[in-house]
Amino acid sequence: MSTETESVELVGEDVVGNVARAALFAALTGAFAYVSFPNPISPVPVSLQVLGVFLAGIFLGPVWGGVSLAFYLAAGAAGAPIFSAGSAGFGPLVGYTAGYLWSYPIAAALIGATVHGFDGLDDPETVGTVRLVGGMLAGTVVIYALGTVGFALVQNVGLVEAFAVSALAFVPFEAVKIAAAVGVVRSDAAAAA
Amino acid sequence: MLTYRSGDSLAHRLDPRTKLLAQAAFAAAAFAHTTPSGLAWLTVVALAFLAAGRLSPVRAIRGYLPALPFLVAAPLLSVVEVDVSPGSGAWAVGIDPAAAFEPLLASYRVLLILLVSAVYLHATPVRDTRAAIQRLVPGRVGRLLGVGVALVFRFLPLLRSDLGRIREASNARLGSERPLRARMQLVASAGIRRAFGRADRLALALRARCFAWNPTLPELRFERIDAVGLLVALALAGATLLGP
Repeated sequence: MSTETESVELVGEDVVGNVARAALFAALTGAFAYVSFPNPISPVPVSLQVLGVFLAGIFLGPVWGGVSLAFYLAAGAAGAPIFSAGSAGFGPLVGYTAGYLWSYPIAAALIGATVHGFDGLDDPETVGTVRLVGGMLAGTVVIYALGTVGFALVQNVGLVEAFAVSALAFVPFEAVKIAAAVGVVRSDAAAAA
Repeated sequence: MLTYRSGDSLAHRLDPRTKLLAQAAFAAAAFAHTTPSGLAWLTVVALAFLAAGRLSPVRAIRGYLPALPFLVAAPLLSVVEVDVSPGSGAWAVGIDPAAAFEPLLASYRVLLILLVSAVYLHATPVRDTRAAIQRLVPGRVGRLLGVGVALVFRFLPLLRSDLGRIREASNARLGSERPLRARMQLVASAGIRRAFGRADRLALALRARCFAWNPTLPELRFERIDAVGLLVALALAGATLLGP
């Protein structure tokens, strides 16, 4: 048995705000798993999770964007139905989706670092489109590279087959998501940040 | 959807830390022994886990239904072989059923791991998992993760219904006729506005209630019954190290 006996230790002011935002973005990424659009080239629909990863990096920066997606993975493992198509549990973290899921925090941190650098957060609206798109392209490459390698290792198939089954039908839509993310940053949603 | 159901089965009475360790050990053993005989043994272990949690295999599989197409597609695709001759650029498609053997075993291994994690979800309340995470991951990192997990559970239903209402309102105004990018952007920007609004109100409420690094969590206690669970985890870990 372990109990806490020491006196109350308050969480710092700015950490509270960041924890709240990181947790809400993790929940939003989870809720995006349920927003699906029909996929004309595959029976599996396109969902918006990756858009959640992009936006976490852009709006929360390298540190808290990564933390947010770490919350997402931990909550999913604990049973929140937030992984693809509303699945949950420890299984997806070591199953064929492992590469994709573990790449999310890395991709969010990379996008955050590309967009903001490491010297504090800039207002995303002031960041140039080239930098935004470049960050998201790098994030997409990380997600699909780790995802394909993970699928190939877990499913014991070649890289080409792994890419064909797990990525091919979804990659074209990443361009649409990148365009949508740029639109979000340029819209008044960013003013609320 | 797989969620916690209260009960008094063996799996319900185990400490969440024991169950997490057993799950990890099972996954490791499944990766180390992806052979017909190894997977036959692990099937017996997985069925024992399902019985310990009094969870029917059908319900467990139904919880992971969306995963099945991917598990079937990988072996199917590896049957097809495309040969490209470098000189002429001509190519031929062949069928080699034997090539599907290894990927088939791999798919079955993933299915077993998913079944075992279904038992965990069925038999463990979220509060216990949060407490286990905070005790297993040391220091403030663990506490931060625990808080994050709890908040995601709290806000997921709210944000899901926010997004649902946004899409409904958009569809009612013929938003479904707009291009894909515009629809994605609409859902995402409205979703972000809601998320930031909720995060700001949450942060204010947390500050007002003296949000602390040391919250009161449910007591976790290893009972005698956990010795059984830990032995199983240890046996699986041992089997992993022994090799094929």
